[in-house]
Amino acid sequence: MRRTERYARPASLGEALALKAADPAAAWLAGGTFLLAGDARDKPESLIDLGAFLPRGLSAAGAALAIGAGTSFQELADSRAAPALLRRAALGMANRNVRNRATVGGNLGANRSCSSLIPSLLVLGAELELAEGGPPAAAGLESWLAGPRGLVLSLRIPAEAGRRSACGRWARTACDLSVLSAAVSYRLSAGAMRDLRIALGGLGPRARRFPELEALFEGRPLPSREDMEARIAPLLRPIDDLRGSAEFKRFRAAALAAELLRAAAGQEADA
Amino acid sequence: MKVRFTLNGKERSWDCEPGESLRDALRRHGIVSVRDGCGGEGACGLCAVILDRRAVNSCMVLAAQAEGSEILTVEHFSRDRELSIVQRALVDASCVQCGYCTPAVVLALHSLLARSPEPSEAEVRDALSGTLCRCTGYEQFFEAARIASRRIRDPLYAEARPVDYRPELALVGKDREKVDAAYLARGERAYVEDRVEAGACHVALLGSPHAHAWVVSVDDEEARAMPGVVEILSSRNCPDKVYTTAGQGFPEPSPHDQRMFPRKVRHVGDRVAAVLAETPEQARAAAAAIKVEYELLRPVLSIAEAKAPNAPIVHSGEVSYVSGEPPAGSSTAGDGRDDPVVYQFPLHADPHRNLAASAAAGIGDVEAGFAAADLVIERAYKCNRVQCTPMEPHVAYAKVEAGRLVLHASTQVPWHVRRIVSRAIGIPENKVRVIKERVGGGFGAKQDIVVEDLVGYLAWKTGRPVFLRYDRAQEFIASRTRHAMEIRVKLGAKRDGKLTAILMRLEADTGPYGQHCLTVPMNAISKSLPLLLCDNARFEVSSYYTNLSPAGAYQGYGAPKGSFALQTALAELAGELGIDQLEMIERNRVGSGARIEILKSLGEGREGSAVTLGECGLGEMIRRGREAFGWEEPGAAGRRAKEEGDWRIGRGAVIIQQGSGLPGLDAANAELRLLADGTLLLLSGGADLGTGLDTVTAKMAAETLGLELQDVTVISGDTDLTPFDKGAYASSGTFFSGKAALLAAEDLKAKALAAAAAILGEPASGLALERGGIVAGKRGRITLAELGHRSSQGEGHGELSGFGSFKTEHAAFPYGAHFVEAAVNARSGEVVVRRYHAYQDCGTPINPSLARGQVHGAILKAIGHSLYEEMLYDQEGRCLNPSFLDYKIPSSLEVPEDFRVEFVPVADEVGPFGAKSVSEISVNGAAPAIAIAIHDAVGAWVREWPFTPERVLRAMGKLGGALPASRATSSRHSQ
Ligand SMILES: Cc1cc2nc3c(=O)[nH]c(=O)nc-3n(C[C@H](O)[C@H](O)[C@H](O)COP(=O)(O)OP(=O)(O)OC[C@H]3O[C@@H](n4cnc5c(N)ncnc54)[C@H](O)[C@@H]3O)c2cc1C
Ligand code: FES
Ligand code: FES
Repeated sequence: MRRTERYARPASLGEALALKAADPAAAWLAGGTFLLAGDARDKPESLIDLGAFLPRGLSAAGAALAIGAGTSFQELADSRAAPALLRRAALGMANRNVRNRATVGGNLGANRSCSSLIPSLLVLGAELELAEGGPPAAAGLESWLAGPRGLVLSLRIPAEAGRRSACGRWARTACDLSVLSAAVSYRLSAGAMRDLRIALGGLGPRARRFPELEALFEGRPLPSREDMEARIAPLLRPIDDLRGSAEFKRFRAAALAAELLRAAAGQEADA
Repeated sequence: MKVRFTLNGKERSWDCEPGESLRDALRRHGIVSVRDGCGGEGACGLCAVILDRRAVNSCMVLAAQAEGSEILTVEHFSRDRELSIVQRALVDASCVQCGYCTPAVVLALHSLLARSPEPSEAEVRDALSGTLCRCTGYEQFFEAARIASRRIRDPLYAEARPVDYRPELALVGKDREKVDAAYLARGERAYVEDRVEAGACHVALLGSPHAHAWVVSVDDEEARAMPGVVEILSSRNCPDKVYTTAGQGFPEPSPHDQRMFPRKVRHVGDRVAAVLAETPEQARAAAAAIKVEYELLRPVLSIAEAKAPNAPIVHSGEVSYVSGEPPAGSSTAGDGRDDPVVYQFPLHADPHRNLAASAAAGIGDVEAGFAAADLVIERAYKCNRVQCTPMEPHVAYAKVEAGRLVLHASTQVPWHVRRIVSRAIGIPENKVRVIKERVGGGFGAKQDIVVEDLVGYLAWKTGRPVFLRYDRAQEFIASRTRHAMEIRVKLGAKRDGKLTAILMRLEADTGPYGQHCLTVPMNAISKSLPLLLCDNARFEVSSYYTNLSPAGAYQGYGAPKGSFALQTALAELAGELGIDQLEMIERNRVGSGARIEILKSLGEGREGSAVTLGECGLGEMIRRGREAFGWEEPGAAGRRAKEEGDWRIGRGAVIIQQGSGLPGLDAANAELRLLADGTLLLLSGGADLGTGLDTVTAKMAAETLGLELQDVTVISGDTDLTPFDKGAYASSGTFFSGKAALLAAEDLKAKALAAAAAILGEPASGLALERGGIVAGKRGRITLAELGHRSSQGEGHGELSGFGSFKTEHAAFPYGAHFVEAAVNARSGEVVVRRYHAYQDCGTPINPSLARGQVHGAILKAIGHSLYEEMLYDQEGRCLNPSFLDYKIPSSLEVPEDFRVEFVPVADEVGPFGAKSVSEISVNGAAPAIAIAIHDAVGAWVREWPFTPERVLRAMGKLGGALPASRATSSRHSQ
């Protein structure tokens, strides 16, 4: 088992980036609930703690909402400024002691397929503010997840009026890591789903939007759940693992997506 | 590096390694209340601290990250040995059981009340969601939170007192503070790991990576030369003898088939070598440097594989018998290479066919019974391996003092530890002292000598103090699990539901060694079959060796599985006959005055005899459950068809039983001394493993001598100081150890009265011992304090001490009726237990709230086994989920909304103050009751536990085929 040999706690972003430039193998440390978990597991040799400077909390950024990458899951769940969807997604995380520590930035950095949060961020069209050495720059979440780089400073949730959204997950027990996690969002116009977004986790190497599913229903009235399940399931490719067989996960994920598509219709549209 | 922070209000500046966790730094500085239950996975919460006003897991925080922070641990709330409002509430709510989780619960509730002084139940559940407790079932934590919240406003608030079960008695039948609760709630040093001194050496185990292999060679030359290494043991240099690790009375009904380090490893994690070194890191480094050559063998990974004609043989050494003859046709000649197998007496075994033990017997004529039936059904049920998961894993600390071995143990069986360790090492028992410390949960796993033999031998051999503590992964794969079982039940009945014949055929997987190989499966029969009255009943039991994790004792022993199979089959039969399942139970169950013939063939290894039951509370228990669940309301006969969206609501009811110790086999002793000031010292052999046994025995003394609980101090489970006790298993605590304490108290009382009679000059027969400890005669009065004082005086009567020794031929059966309402999602297969009522006869509940906590805890474990828990193996026999991240035990969020325990006491004629056992029985009901409720809800029988959504969907026909028995190796990592 490898142990951490070096630890630094820079006071500013500039200092952090300089440390990273000098020690490129060093890992960013936020809440540590992913990086430091498991006494018997290898730890990064060198850590740069973000705690002293990383933005924390929610604020308005023009019409958009900015979420500091250092915001903990519990803070997100408790925040009145956060969209209901994100508050719910944050509460989906395992347990209180972990939510008190785990950060939004760390969740992206961990980039787990079954992330509680990423599907919801994807359907909200979140963008990232990144620092990669130069001045902070923007990046789309989905492309960043496909090739993570730099330090995430904050997230921006654009204001998109009229959307209805829902998120959910399936886990073996309430305190379990999700086996499947999902979020959907669309506008209802004249009874049809428009600008439909469906994001699923637990069905591949990472959580992602599923354009192939979105295309099934875009511009159509909401079908019955049975219909949706029957059409979604064949397009999913989960793997067998100790949390469930591929067959079960396909069945369950289709049921979850269909349930959320119907549940979103009953949600109030975002202002 | 230097780290500065405020700890419990004091500025600290500590030197820490950059990678050191806050948990390790705190423990290194003597804050032992910060525990480790999951190996730093973030899943148990026992390492919690309050960091800048939020409860967090300190295993996942670097000490360095705490720079400038404010940290609170339970010590903050325990100043001057006072109790905080939360600690007091936890003690008052009787939910400090083993206490290992208590400091974390204290912190979780304090931080909850700080942000929400009047929390809703949902908030309480959420606040506790990060803290695992295996003992309590969480329900009484919710009560504690309520009490603490009320006391913020009203400091004198007290919950309404529960029923007083024995109004004529002063202490028995009412709630009193558990004797160890306060100091455990304060997080004081109490467990084995808290006894380790500076300079102790540490053991690292090298476990087998293979399920079945010869250990061809162990090259430890390089490892021996490494820094800090004191000793290395392996099959080459360990004592050459076999023993059983089962902590049972001698001669054990378990084969002696285990060498300290086997010549052939028989499961993944089996002992290959052990390094003793001065630091844990040095021990681990040296263990990694040992080179082992294995010769791989095909592993046996299921009962079917064990039985197959060309199966690999798990034990191929010579088989011998200390007494009795080998069973006819069995093979005894060894292969000249493997370790021998020694049976103390025949168990109908044939190890060279992987058969560790078997038994068959019955009453009447089952074939005739089936022929006479109007309907016969046959069903197969399967129960997978589950793990006891005590929050404190196996741990031992041994040292040599004054030429003797002193072993600090976390055990249920101090005397069996002494016997087995002394024989394994080859020293007499007077050279060994076993001190049972507070046990952080046992549940049966600590009935076995899992680490004490090794730790004791290393200390004895090297003279150094030796510490070993399993990590969570070792606890999963190399501790003890519940035997996997496959049970076929064949039932015949008349149209009116009356049973005509019962046949139970049971096959068990005992794993690599034979501890409890016969008694656990037999218990599945002996605690299920006698619940039903039927003239023709037969059972056949076989127990097989496999190369999966070792099986052993687990709360309930075999009963939960036998109960699952038989009660579910009875409900299936009821369904086929169109009879309400509860009515079916009523038509066949035991009741007051029933003669239980089947006990003739269930004699625990001796000749059994039929028993005529006295009064039986089952009728009343069922009546109460019927009423609470509105059993006669619409839909009573058959599916309830209540729907809420995708959810279907169903219900199930079962009856259960257990025993109270092993009549004729076991014994318990206690000594009670009157001290010079009139207080009492009770020396009890009983091993309290968090259940409250010390409180029970203390009450026996205080009640009998007319004193209060605080006048009694209990010393228990120390083989030097206290007299022999069989140990805490087979539901014997209250019945045996409690009765021994009562007999000691009565003996002391008689002696005190005799001494008082001499002083007062009147006959002892005319004296009475009044409350307050006063001997009152016609002419005068004298206090116990005066009698105690005189006992230490030259002109006095000598020390007054009572002795109690208890053994019995009497079997005391606790009974119970459990009712469940479950919601089953017809779309997703999820099952939620909404209501769970347990009606329980434990005789007189000595301390009702503690007894209730035992029941809550047992039931939530059983709900876990029924719905979530299962050890999964790959095709090479490696356990895939040896951690709390992937083996899910219930948290506060899985507790049923309506979770109720009611006692229906039927006093036992022999038990102390009429008490019987209480805790084990309550794990027997959940599996069948939930299976029946699932069927009631969605019309499908799930016959394999756990009833995962996947299995429910398959039973409903929504997914095809059956689940694969073992999972592909490639899928070790989940997405
Ligand atoms: C018991 C338990 C339960 C869990 N349950 C859930 C769950 O239900 N749902 C879920 O989604 N996850 C869960 N997790 C996983 C995980 O810990 C979380 O996803 C968490 O959000 C990680 O955040 P952190 O701040 O602790 O990250 P850290 O452990 O500090 O870091 C995680 C990774 O992100 C990188 N990183 C951190 N901050 C940044 C940043 N600002 N920019 C770029 N990279 C960064 C780190 O270098 C590291 O690679 C659980 C973990 C545990 C231990
Ligand atoms: S040891 Fe920290 S959560 Fe288990
Ligand atoms: S009392 Fe909670 S783990 Fe024992």
